[in-house]
Formats: sequence, structure tokens, C-alpha cells
Amino acid sequence: MKNNISALMDGELFDDEADAVLDQIKRNPAAQTEWHMYHLVGDALRQPGHLHADMRSVLRERLQAEPTVLAPRNRERQNARWFALSAAASIMALALVAWLSVQVGPEPAPQMAMQQQPSALHPANFPLNSGLNAYLMAHQEFSPSTDVQGAAPYIRTVAGQ
Amino acid sequence: MQTTVVKPLVFSALMLLGGMVGAYADPLRQEELDWLQTMAFAAHQTDYSGTFIYQYGGHVETSRITHIADRDGEHGKLERLDGPRREIIRHNDQVWCDLGNGKVKIEQRQGGREFPALLPEQLTLLSKNYVIKTAEEERLAGFHAHTMVFQPKDNLRYTHKMWADSISGLLLKSEVIDDRGNVIEQYSFTQLSIGGDIDRSWIASNQPPTASPAHMPHHTHNSHYPHDAPHVGDPLLAGTFPKMAASIASGWRVDALPDGFRKIAEVRRKLHGRDAPVIQMVFSDGLAGVSVFIEQSDHDDDDHDGLSSQGVIQVYSKVIDDNLVTVIGEVPPQTVMQIADSVRNGNNP
Repeated sequence: MKNNISALMDGELFDDEADAVLDQIKRNPAAQTEWHMYHLVGDALRQPGHLHADMRSVLRERLQAEPTVLAPRNRERQNARWFALSAAASIMALALVAWLSVQVGPEPAPQMAMQQQPSALHPANFPLNSGLNAYLMAHQEFSPSTDVQGAAPYIRTVAGQ
Repeated sequence: MQTTVVKPLVFSALMLLGGMVGAYADPLRQEELDWLQTMAFAAHQTDYSGTFIYQYGGHVETSRITHIADRDGEHGKLERLDGPRREIIRHNDQVWCDLGNGKVKIEQRQGGREFPALLPEQLTLLSKNYVIKTAEEERLAGFHAHTMVFQPKDNLRYTHKMWADSISGLLLKSEVIDDRGNVIEQYSFTQLSIGGDIDRSWIASNQPPTASPAHMPHHTHNSHYPHDAPHVGDPLLAGTFPKMAASIASGWRVDALPDGFRKIAEVRRKLHGRDAPVIQMVFSDGLAGVSVFIEQSDHDDDDHDGLSSQGVIQVYSKVIDDNLVTVIGEVPPQTVMQIADSVRNGNNP
């Protein structure tokens, strides 16, 4: 077997013999190791810059560690992304128009930016200043939400003080 | 130019959609409005005791609530279970707040509103401003919950999601969601007993010891009561505060009231910790409320200027014509700001 592998590596076998040896190597783990070892020896003898260790098994282990994704590729998502991109492009175009009109003169376009602005207002959440509690209590007497929630809204008055 | 073409198209598409929803959702909407009535009724008329979680932003706390309705009216107690002791006790229109360290604040509710308080006009207003949807039934704190979503038709208000016990109608959980889909505030019962044997010991001990106005001390809001006192404190109620706030036409007005809001009250009232009476105007869209307080500015009191927020509550203050205007409500910042910015004194044009 060893001779056959060696001969195969040196290119001394006929095609049909080579096929038979390759077939054996495929089925026999010991032969596989042998095959690999010969390559390693050959590499060492040729003295390259570095020796490659058992790349094949390292690669296999890495592949086995990879999670298997069974879900089919989602085509819709690509469409959605495309849509989002084109929407983003349109917004960019609008922004450009708005910007251009700002440069030219006071046109209605900038108002759009103004309308968007309030949504961006998100003040930090913190317990209300105790000075505001009197207002809060007074407000809760009238607020419709108090009717549905009973005494629970008062929690806002005691929270975090 | 592009905007003028696109906007009417989008607008008409939305109108069409809105019209369709409106046409098909009518019977459902009425059912949900009935549910809301039931919930308001349950909140006032049910005996219950339970523990709930209150959460806003990154803040979470646990509280215990007890509510009893009897011949004397309503009794409620709210205790904070986390951190320093905080307690609020309510008997009808009187409210005692024990914010720890023995200090007792006493408030007199002056709204004087009749029960049940959700008026039909209010519900009509509500269905104009919100799309009402029924969500999936859920189990919460051991109860079977009917779930409702009130989704605003614009960005002037928040989305409200409510879970009510399908038998009593009691609110089990409530979520308020902003226009970006974030839950900004929620309550949720983790344990609840409805009816049955509920501890009433706190009711007797917290009744006002005397009902006679002659015994009422004046301006005791900063006084320290002994912590071991059997009662929470002498109420400074009828003696210094009028029983009911006086309905008035103050001459103040809100020029740019956001769409869907209507004035439900305008009163001159005493506010705890202030000598001079303040004007309070209340606006509602059927579900959320906004109060506008107007008082003489004392100039040195600039500690609550601008916008502040706690969960669903936004507060915005500014000085207008030498008056301090404070707008507070369970609405987004832009709504309180729009209201505050358009407050005008009609008396001096």
C-alpha cells in the first residue's frame, strides 16, 4: 500500500492503477493518514517557508462547528431591502430639493423638515421634580385616564422620590 | 414641488383607508367603548387588593394597591413596596400623601366630578381621535383579560393598550406606546384579589379625626407629624380650601389647540404649597388629558422651566405676559409644547 501511494504521488502509476489506489485511500482512514504523511514528508524535504499541518482535518472540524442554516433564502427580504433603499433614495432626493430651495429662497419645502421635528423630541425620563407634584395631582383629578385606572395614576406622584 | 404632489395623494389614500376602517369597525367600536365604561365603573366600584409593577424608561417599581367601595364612598390606598416608604391614601375627594420621613401632605381633590365619570361626549371624542381595536385575549395575573388597543390617528397622542379582567372589567395591565413603538410607561398587576376579605384596618385609622372645619389648622403643609401617630394627620381641608373649585371664564385661551382636544373644565383653585389661587384649564381628547395652569410668575422660581417628562407625563413651562404657564398631560412633548406656545391672555390683547 505504502509503495502504491508513493508511486501515485510520484506519478508512476497508470490511470487505472491510480484510480484503484485513490479509491482505497478514500475508503481506508489509515491510507488517508499515510497519504497525508507522505505529502508532509515531501513538503519537508522540499523545505518550503512553512509546513502545513493537518489542514484537511482542521478545516473539517471548523466546518462541523459551523451552524447549519436550514431556512431557505428569503427573497421577500431582498425586495424589502430594495424598497427601503429606494425609499431612502427618494428621501435623499426630497432632502436635496429642500436644501436647494433653502439656497434659492424661502420655499414651502423646508416646512416638511419642521413637521418632522416634533417627533424627534424625546426628553430623558426622570422622576418629576417634587415641585411639579402639585400640578400632577391636580391634573389627575380631571384626566380621563384616572377614571379607568382608579388610584393607580397616583403612582406617578410617589414614583422615584 | 415634489411634496405638493405626493402629499395630497398620501392624504387621500389615508382618508380612504380611514373611511373604510370607520365603516367596518362601527359595531366593534361601540363594544369597546362600552368596555371602557365598564372599566371606569369597575375602577370605582370594585373591592380589590393587589400588587402591581409600574415601569417607565429604565425605572421599575412595585406597589400595592387596595380599593374599597362602601356606603361612605371610595377608599383607596397605594403603597410603594420598593425603596423608601411612600403611601397615598384617598377617601372620596380627600387625598393624604405620606412621602416618608413623617411628613404628610394633604390634598383636596377639587374636581368635584360626578361618578361615573366617562361621559358619552368624551367617548365620542375618543372614537374620533383613536382607532379602537380588540387584540388577542390573554391571561394575566391569573385572570382572563380582554385586550384593547387605542391607536391614535395622528402623532399628537400616544397609543394606549389595555388589558381588563373579562369578568369585573378591572384594569389588569396598561401600556402606553410612543410613535416609534416603544413602551414608555406600563402598569401590570402581578397579583390581584377581587372582592372577598380585604383588609380594612387602614380605613378607620385614616379617617379624618374631626370633621369640624373649626379645628382645621391653617397652612400646615410643611408640618411634621409624629411618625407613630395612629392617624395620618389632620386634614387641612374645608377650612382653607374651598370645597369645590370655582368654574370660571378666566379670559385666557389656547389659540392653537391641537386637533381633537376639547376643553372639559376651567377653574380657579388652590394648589398645594401655593398661596395664590391658580387657573386650571383642562383639555381632553377622550382618553388623554392636558391641564394648563396659569399663575402669577414670582420670577425667582425658574427651577421648573422648559420640558420635563416621566413616562407618559410631559410637563412644559414657560412665562407668558408675566405669568407662569405650566402645561401637563399624558401626551407627547409636541402636544404640550404646542399648547403652551399658544396660550394667550385675552384680557390684555
